[in-house]
Amino acid sequence: MKFIVSSSVLLKNLSNINGVVASNPIVPILENFLFKIEDGTLTVTASDLQTTMTTQIPVDATENGSIAIPAKLLLDTLRSLPEQPVTFQIDTETFGTQILTDNGRYKLSGENPIDFPKIPAVNKNLSVELSSDALLDAINNTVFATSTDDLRPAMTGVYLNLSDDKATFVATDGHRLIRYRRTDISGSANTSLIVPRKALQLLKASLPEGVDVRAEFSQANASFSFSTTQLICRLIDERFPDYENAIPTNNTNVMTIGRTDLLNSLKRIMIYANRTTHQIRLSLKDNKLTISAEDLDYSNEANEILLCDYEGVPMEIGFNAKLLVEMLGNLSAKMISLEMSAPNRAGLIIPADKEENEELLMLVMPVMLNTYA
Amino acid sequence: MPAPSSPIRKIIHIDMDAFYASVEQRDNPELRGKPVAVGGSRARGVVAAASYEARTFGVRSAMASVTAIRKCPDLIFVKPRFEVYKAVSAQIRAVFAEYTHLIEPLSLDEAYLDVTENRAGLASATEIARQIKAKIRETTQLTASAGVSYNKFLAKLASDHRKPDGLFVIKPADGPRFVESLPVGTFHGIGRVTAGKMNALGIFTGLDLRQQSEEFLTRHFGKAGHHYYHIARGIDERAVNPDRVRKSVGSENTFETDLSTEQALVEGLQPLIDDVWAYCQHRQIGARTVTLKVKYADFQQITRSRTISTVLPDRTTLERICQELLQSILPVTQGVRLLGVSLSTLSDETSTPNRQLTLF
Repeated sequence: MKFIVSSSVLLKNLSNINGVVASNPIVPILENFLFKIEDGTLTVTASDLQTTMTTQIPVDATENGSIAIPAKLLLDTLRSLPEQPVTFQIDTETFGTQILTDNGRYKLSGENPIDFPKIPAVNKNLSVELSSDALLDAINNTVFATSTDDLRPAMTGVYLNLSDDKATFVATDGHRLIRYRRTDISGSANTSLIVPRKALQLLKASLPEGVDVRAEFSQANASFSFSTTQLICRLIDERFPDYENAIPTNNTNVMTIGRTDLLNSLKRIMIYANRTTHQIRLSLKDNKLTISAEDLDYSNEANEILLCDYEGVPMEIGFNAKLLVEMLGNLSAKMISLEMSAPNRAGLIIPADKEENEELLMLVMPVMLNTYA
Repeated sequence: MPAPSSPIRKIIHIDMDAFYASVEQRDNPELRGKPVAVGGSRARGVVAAASYEARTFGVRSAMASVTAIRKCPDLIFVKPRFEVYKAVSAQIRAVFAEYTHLIEPLSLDEAYLDVTENRAGLASATEIARQIKAKIRETTQLTASAGVSYNKFLAKLASDHRKPDGLFVIKPADGPRFVESLPVGTFHGIGRVTAGKMNALGIFTGLDLRQQSEEFLTRHFGKAGHHYYHIARGIDERAVNPDRVRKSVGSENTFETDLSTEQALVEGLQPLIDDVWAYCQHRQIGARTVTLKVKYADFQQITRSRTISTVLPDRTTLERICQELLQSILPVTQGVRLLGVSLSTLSDETSTPNRQLTLF
């Protein structure tokens, strides 16, 4: 079996799907890319059993066939080659693979393609067309807030609910929660599912801007196809926490403030907070916000006063500054409002200037402050 | 030669002679003068320590007990008494502490001491070593071997040179020459596998090793190549480090007969979980990573691990994670001879209640 392909085109396509390849996979064959040639089209597959990505490249080939090629070795080779057509010559008996280039020949031992796991088929119950920009926005707004705790698998992915007039994306790690809605994505039937974090991060890394994406969902799997690339992942088969009831509704204390002013102030104050709890204190009275922190162990302390627009009773509430900084940093709005009811109830961060088609709500749980009698 | 910028250090390596076996012979006169092995004599047992009488038959520590019996049919097996060894170890560390606070214990019976500046104000490290040996004998009725030199590598070689009850000094001028004649396999840090690899490359002695370029050694042995290049010249800049931080807590068990059912494996895990959890509780250590080690009947060994975002809150969680890791390797296609549980990513942060409120 033999085919000729541009080194840079192959490298670009392989780099797009290489994120799936685990460094120490459970099944050794998964350290390989599966190459399959069919009528002049090369389909390359990478998988970690949970997530599979494929990409297609037209190549110059006279016969069909398959081979599994070590991913790292191949990528390292392609990265160091100057752009040129390279010839792959494969012995389908021994799986020995030779790469012939202007610079020389490289021999590596491939593996039997039969051993490569089958790509799960997505028997679609639901198919949605959307723009890559909308999907990227949804991922960027939510995926950072997912949990990394394997003991709570439902929270290690982003929850997606499709109804006939909108799509809702929700991520939470138990301390904060993001709910992101778009009215330009919808599904015919009301469907809920959880897409794993890794799959979304891979999508984020490989999705180009301004292309159409077809998302298909079955009971167990999801598939995202765009350009010549496809990502298939197993869905998280768990019940997502009842997030709607966790969002407080009667929040009578509302602060409106410039997002970057608040963010920059928090970053400075945070330096003086306890290194493990990152606890800071927000004191609100009239139209003044006082942000303060202290680390009792080292007698460090800091405080700043910011002007804001505050409606409500004077209150003091504690938060983990790291969570606030991460959430505010992920927003683009000029002005935000922080809505609160009590020092022991969640605070809601809502961008004051809204984008069309979008609705974003961020929720963060407070830290109980020590009350000095 | 040591770097000219630093003053020449004085390092002592103290190594108790056939430690566990000697303690047993001390406490039981009937064992004296006889070949003794500490460890389990049964099918799966391993020799933890062998008395000098047993060593003349070729019995070595870490040898399978069946092999040891084949080499020495009269070998007497004694069950280890770790509590006693720990108590003796505390006694000898108290002796070390009279001379310096720079003590780096390697195990219960072995330690490096940096006596460049010492409490007794003695100028001679050799004299300190002699006094330490005498005091150990006085308080424990056991003998130790001591090596004195200007770095850890040579001090350890020196203590090994005149065992048992030895005292040997490698002076700065003699270091490189001393290393020359020794087989590379005797160097601390060069194990059986590395020694075999070196032999295959034509490196048998310290001299052979010294004749290799640093580039050659790093090419074949990676980062360790630098170390080998330097020790072949008698150079070792590693400091005596009194508080080496513990990086993991583990417990493992080789079973009498291979386990194959899920139930047997789950049961086999329980004492290991108890062990590591009790240790962490007692020392107030928090851990985030759990590793399950499995050795199959054919000695193939695998590990599976999981890291969680906060320190393990309780034993139940630890047990649950162990069970999940176990599930990932089930069903086993062959018997399991060994199970191990270890905790890593340790911190002082114990599972104290967090004031951060949660949502669900």
